[in-house]
Amino acid sequence: MGKHKRQSAPVRTAAPASANAPQKERKPFRIPVMGLLFVLVWAWGALWYGDVMRVAREWSFWAPDITLMQYESGRPWGALWHIGLALLQLWRWPVLGSAVLALLLTAATWLTAYCLRLRGWWQALAFVPVAVYLAVVAHQGVDIYFEAEPGRIMGIPFLYTLVVILLALIIFTFTRHHRLHPETLPQNRGIALVAVVTMAVSMAISQWLRPYVRVVTEMQCELMEQDWKAVQKTARAHPTLSYRMIAAYYAMATVQRGEQGSRLFDLLMDYDEPYIHGFDRDETTGQTYYLMECDYYAGLVQTAQHHAMENLTMCGPTLRSLKMLTKCALLRGEWTVAEKYLRILGKVPFEGAWVKRYTAMLRQPDAVNNDAEMKMVRMTEPVHDTFESQYIQPVFMGYNASLMEGRSVNALLNSLAVQLYTKTTQGFLARCEAYQGQMPPQTIAEALLMFSSKHPQLTEAFPGITMHQTRLGSYFQEVKPMMSDRQRYARELFPRYKGFYPYYYFFGNLKATKKQKDNGGTSNHGVN
Amino acid sequence: MRLHKLTILAFASLLTVVLLSACGGQRAQVPETSVEVDSLAPLYPDYTDVTVPANIAPLNCMLEHTDATDMVMVLKGEQGDELITGGEGLKVRIDTTAWRALLQANRGKEITVTVYAETAKGWKRYQPHHISVAQEEIDAFLTYRLIEPGYELYRQLGIYQRNLTNWDVETVYENNRVFEDGDNHCINCHNFQNHSTENMLFHVRANHGGTIIVQGGKAEKVQIKGDSILTAGVYPSWHPKAPLVAFSTNKTGQSFHLRHPEALEVLDERSDLLLYDVEQHKIQMVLTDTTLLETFPCWSPDGRWLYYCVTREPDDKSFPDSLHAMMMLKHYQELRYDVYRLPFDVQTRRFGPSELVIDCASRQRSATFPRISPDGRYLLYAEGDYGQFHIWHKSSDLYVKDLQTGSLYALTEANSDDVDSYHSWSSNGRWIVFSSRRMDGAYTRTHIAYFDPQGRARKAFCLPQEDPEYNIMLLKSYNVPELTKDAVRTTPQTLKETIYNEE
Repeated sequence: MGKHKRQSAPVRTAAPASANAPQKERKPFRIPVMGLLFVLVWAWGALWYGDVMRVAREWSFWAPDITLMQYESGRPWGALWHIGLALLQLWRWPVLGSAVLALLLTAATWLTAYCLRLRGWWQALAFVPVAVYLAVVAHQGVDIYFEAEPGRIMGIPFLYTLVVILLALIIFTFTRHHRLHPETLPQNRGIALVAVVTMAVSMAISQWLRPYVRVVTEMQCELMEQDWKAVQKTARAHPTLSYRMIAAYYAMATVQRGEQGSRLFDLLMDYDEPYIHGFDRDETTGQTYYLMECDYYAGLVQTAQHHAMENLTMCGPTLRSLKMLTKCALLRGEWTVAEKYLRILGKVPFEGAWVKRYTAMLRQPDAVNNDAEMKMVRMTEPVHDTFESQYIQPVFMGYNASLMEGRSVNALLNSLAVQLYTKTTQGFLARCEAYQGQMPPQTIAEALLMFSSKHPQLTEAFPGITMHQTRLGSYFQEVKPMMSDRQRYARELFPRYKGFYPYYYFFGNLKATKKQKDNGGTSNHGVN
Repeated sequence: MRLHKLTILAFASLLTVVLLSACGGQRAQVPETSVEVDSLAPLYPDYTDVTVPANIAPLNCMLEHTDATDMVMVLKGEQGDELITGGEGLKVRIDTTAWRALLQANRGKEITVTVYAETAKGWKRYQPHHISVAQEEIDAFLTYRLIEPGYELYRQLGIYQRNLTNWDVETVYENNRVFEDGDNHCINCHNFQNHSTENMLFHVRANHGGTIIVQGGKAEKVQIKGDSILTAGVYPSWHPKAPLVAFSTNKTGQSFHLRHPEALEVLDERSDLLLYDVEQHKIQMVLTDTTLLETFPCWSPDGRWLYYCVTREPDDKSFPDSLHAMMMLKHYQELRYDVYRLPFDVQTRRFGPSELVIDCASRQRSATFPRISPDGRYLLYAEGDYGQFHIWHKSSDLYVKDLQTGSLYALTEANSDDVDSYHSWSSNGRWIVFSSRRMDGAYTRTHIAYFDPQGRARKAFCLPQEDPEYNIMLLKSYNVPELTKDAVRTTPQTLKETIYNEE
């Protein structure tokens, strides 16, 4: 503007020419709305929802191989889901995956405004597809990948972007419409605000409607890294977020750290129902979300293998099921089939390190037995063969409550923990004999002391347990008036008695116990 | 106009480049120098020293567990040109036309195969192996089901037909590819009359359930059910001459091991035999003894005998009737099946008294799936330590009883350390196809073995695939391999309409 010549304006005053020269106007700062949108979406994916997307990737599969992709090929929209699954692989690193998603959504938004020739405030309409996408993803929670088509997650934004690119090309080629109509400053500010609000709404939906989703996926990511301490820490940071899936992953980590006898009841266990749907899109309990892992970490390798194969059958190959099948095959010495799975996983982008780690274990039983995770699993494998159908299988910890023999203290602890969890007093006491004359872990000691009111001989058999007498006494004194309405006081008491077994026994898992009793059951076993 | 010409020129150039890169590449050459090594080439699949029919598709293969980066394979028969192939890394894809010519020229003779592998130290040459080409061809079509070895559940599965002379695979029928509560169904037990697709059947379970029977190209869905029938028709066998099918009807359950080399046990709680007239739609019960478990019917080629497997139910009164399944499970390792047969008069449709053909139980073994050779002389069956569902028993091997001499023996050359089970004959009786888990212990693959006139089998070879890595990448099992002389003519659409028709 400053370079434009002024056209023959007569000088009417005597003011100096220099004073009359046009002032260099300060260009008002315009927010680069598309840049802002890119950054916001990127930050949403990288910092807020990254773990969810990474788990979605783990529950999907893509490889550049026709045979491996047969499951997808036969489905309607198979080609699109192929592309979506390929893009989803980038979420191995949320920073990368979210950059691509941000690119797609930003391009789609810009091109939507371009194609629709939106002017002024109407340009805010271009944000509708992004807003809908982010809101739906947040609203669906784990349903975006659980017994669903994960190719949609990136496939739909890809398709939409592709469509608007093609439309824009047509418009660009056949019309003189070459650029977006510039918005005014207030409009610029307003549209930028729309971008921010879009993101905030999505975050609010996930935070308030699906509060467990980010927590559980964070735990799953930590589990993938075998960072058991972090899994526990994440769960303990949300002790009152009471969902089975959180409790299950927490239990796995606790078992891996050998703390199932002392820290298992640190979470509130009176579960709320998650928003989760099965293949038929009807609501489900979501047991299959974590059953395979529960079995594996509880030492039921063959059962985990069974469930992984069923997952493979029902969902097609996923990284999750193939990795589980690989680990189970290694633990069972089925080297050739383990090699097959590793070869398949080797074709998946970004899985090189995982494949390398486990390939080193092929035909090396010592390497398998010395692996930190597998060593723990091995210790809790059943001693004798039986059939799954002959046992009650509490989903929590995946452990067969009826197993009476174990090959290690860990197996005994697992078994005891399940008895405590299911409030099976007789089963618990029968297994405690192994601790006679010793000081059992804290939770077990608390339980023994509590049961000693009906079984006085316990204090003689386990003399150390009386050290918890004072706390038990004050506990009963406090909760006695609350016993008639335990449901009401459960949450109130939790902060004070977190991890204390007598609290769990009387105030934990009340909903499940009530459900069991409503269905005609007479015991407290309905807590799974 | 000029632009138009330029466009054509550019397009032609691009096409030339594409065609050159597709067809060209370096023709494989035998290395000028190579170091001989003592071992046979570690080929996958293992095609060393096998006997093949002259009409089989090329035995494409690859080198496994090697530090090599490239390979060349030289195939030389007593007759015909030498065939040199390779130069595409560790996979060998043999030219189909040249392969066919080589095999035709060497019927009844041997082909010598020399494999060269290029390593960092140069080329090495493995000990040569041989491929014997049999005089007799194999039936051109193999029908099988593809399903994950997933035990209980099913999702996407189908019955397919492979042309063994090339790579063509046709879908006979696939179930719904997308989960639909009202449409999900399983398909199983495809069976043909006399190695012809003219008359065939298979079952549909769950939604749209029934038995699909195709006669002369016309498909219909029937319900083989009745008060005296335990469930529905299960394992079928077409009578070779009459419009009759013998079925077993089985009340089957499965249980999963917690810590065992086998994955699961599939047990019949009860089973009987019945005869179904596909024209009259009439059911005739054949064997219904409640103390016996009769299953796996199979007609002799002349239609005068019905072979089957049978065991006695465990006599354990400590379980009430309501826990019958649990009682069976407790005794699962004691269930041992023998092979019996019943004489049959096709005119009166009457069966005579049963007679023992193979006594396995006294040897602490168990027989399943009797199959009589087309000449009526050999009874091929699977024998394992116990039970009847040998596809999940590592002890399962193929056995033969010579019905002329009475001798009984294992087909050692064709068997493996892992499961060798479901088997069927070619129409000329010179080939057997069967399921085996020998390749990885988990996924069954179809294997083919030559069965010579003396009743001995040769080393089996895996069904060849265009991409030798296919069997590693495929996450499904080949199930129920059956040979036919012709292709299935009923279209998948016709079958679908028949299945979905609920009238």
